Amino acid sequence: MRDARRIIVTGMGAVSAAGLGAPALWHAAREGRSCIGKAQFPRPYRGRIKIAAQVRDFDPAAHVTPAELPFCDPVTQYLFAAAEEALAQAGLAQAKPMGPRTATIIGTGIGGMHTLDNGLHLAIVEHGRPDPLTVPRLIPSACPTQLSIRYGTTGPCFAVASACSSATQAIGIALQLIRAGAVDRAIVGGTEDCVTNSAMLAWEALRVLTPDYCRPFSDGRNGMVLGAGAAVFILEEAECARVRGATPIVEIAGYGTSTDAKDPVRPDAQGAAACMRNTLADAGLDAEEIDYVNAHGTGTTANDMTESEALGLVFGKRRLPVSSTKPIHGHGLGAAGALELVVTIGAVCENVAPPTINWRGVDPKCPVDPVPNEARPMRIQAALSNSFAFGGINASLAVRRAEAA
Amino acid sequence: MDITALDQPELAGEIIDVIVKEGMVDREKATLDATIESLDLKSIDIVMILTAIEEKFDVYIPMDGPFHDAKNVADLINAITNHITKEKSKPDA
Repeated sequence: MRDARRIIVTGMGAVSAAGLGAPALWHAAREGRSCIGKAQFPRPYRGRIKIAAQVRDFDPAAHVTPAELPFCDPVTQYLFAAAEEALAQAGLAQAKPMGPRTATIIGTGIGGMHTLDNGLHLAIVEHGRPDPLTVPRLIPSACPTQLSIRYGTTGPCFAVASACSSATQAIGIALQLIRAGAVDRAIVGGTEDCVTNSAMLAWEALRVLTPDYCRPFSDGRNGMVLGAGAAVFILEEAECARVRGATPIVEIAGYGTSTDAKDPVRPDAQGAAACMRNTLADAGLDAEEIDYVNAHGTGTTANDMTESEALGLVFGKRRLPVSSTKPIHGHGLGAAGALELVVTIGAVCENVAPPTINWRGVDPKCPVDPVPNEARPMRIQAALSNSFAFGGINASLAVRRAEAA
Repeated sequence: MDITALDQPELAGEIIDVIVKEGMVDREKATLDATIESLDLKSIDIVMILTAIEEKFDVYIPMDGPFHDAKNVADLINAITNHITKEKSKPDA
């Protein structure tokens, strides 16, 4: 059945701390250039954690029309810019309306966090009159529906809100819909910007944010850094794409998900391993065929230890290159899986494993090859991208080189 | 030299109160040599305990301190006692 309908990526776009465009994000990851800096807020901030990977110098007017703008939280604005780029690359910029055979599925952990932050401050602190469009702007489903309105995609449309696994699940479920024949094409991805005053304080209270450096899988790691941004992909059934003469970038060979059903915040190696195994089975790939893994790799004590254990359960003693690029673009939460799929696709297309930067020594509890500090040119035919979320939701995608497809 | 729980039994007692309450631990089990594991204290319980300590003693506990490496109740109390004493002895405290 799987052989009947293959799913390829024909376009991708991104907005991240690395700037505008998927190439900007991939190049920063490949070069090991961190885009983390001092976080900026519109109102005084009293947090002790001062750093984040924010989207800077983003000009909404360049991507959003005056009629759309009142309905667009920054997360939707980023999405518009990323979708424009993805559709242009796919050769579909003028293909409006895209109609009922196109799905629009976007992952976001929270949705309009800036609208929430500003709206609550206005209502509770300033006793002001709420903006009448507060609700339509902040709802997580505004992300996919605004895209559907702009591009006339009348097929299935929804937001996936599975915290840090949101984008990966959104892309995975679109793959399943295309494979099942429900649609031929999907605009998918993720978007998030929780670098707001109240959200940063809430994350700080959880004690998972580092005050200085995010160093996944490393000795002395002490937490993650929040990141913001969006990434969008055009997924298409391979034959439909071929008929219209589109160029495949990579194949999304498989998707797998699993649920720990154990703990609201503590990750579980068995659950993560089951997720990776499900992905390999779905892609029809053996563990030996995976050349590189873009890890969830948050840089927290718990995640990296558990993910290392899970990788060991799936890949055995093999020294598989596994890197986390979160010290570059931050932890994008609901957008993480999309930002990291851009990086994973870059790795497959250019045969380079991007590095885990800030790595300073072996932690015996993280027995992986983290591709420390410098990119590694190597043959990458197939790669895995992992996302693990609070609540115990795990999701992974398998990417395969297009000519190998 | 580090200050330990034995030097400040009163403070140690208050910290045990917080561990018992926030960690939802039986008081009789919260002995100094009880391991974090035996009390089934997970990382989120430690987060709740440290947050309550911050509130109660009006100190800031950094996330990269020795608190998360504690193996037993004595380690945890010592790390907290030591930190509170240092913070409170700062000139601007």
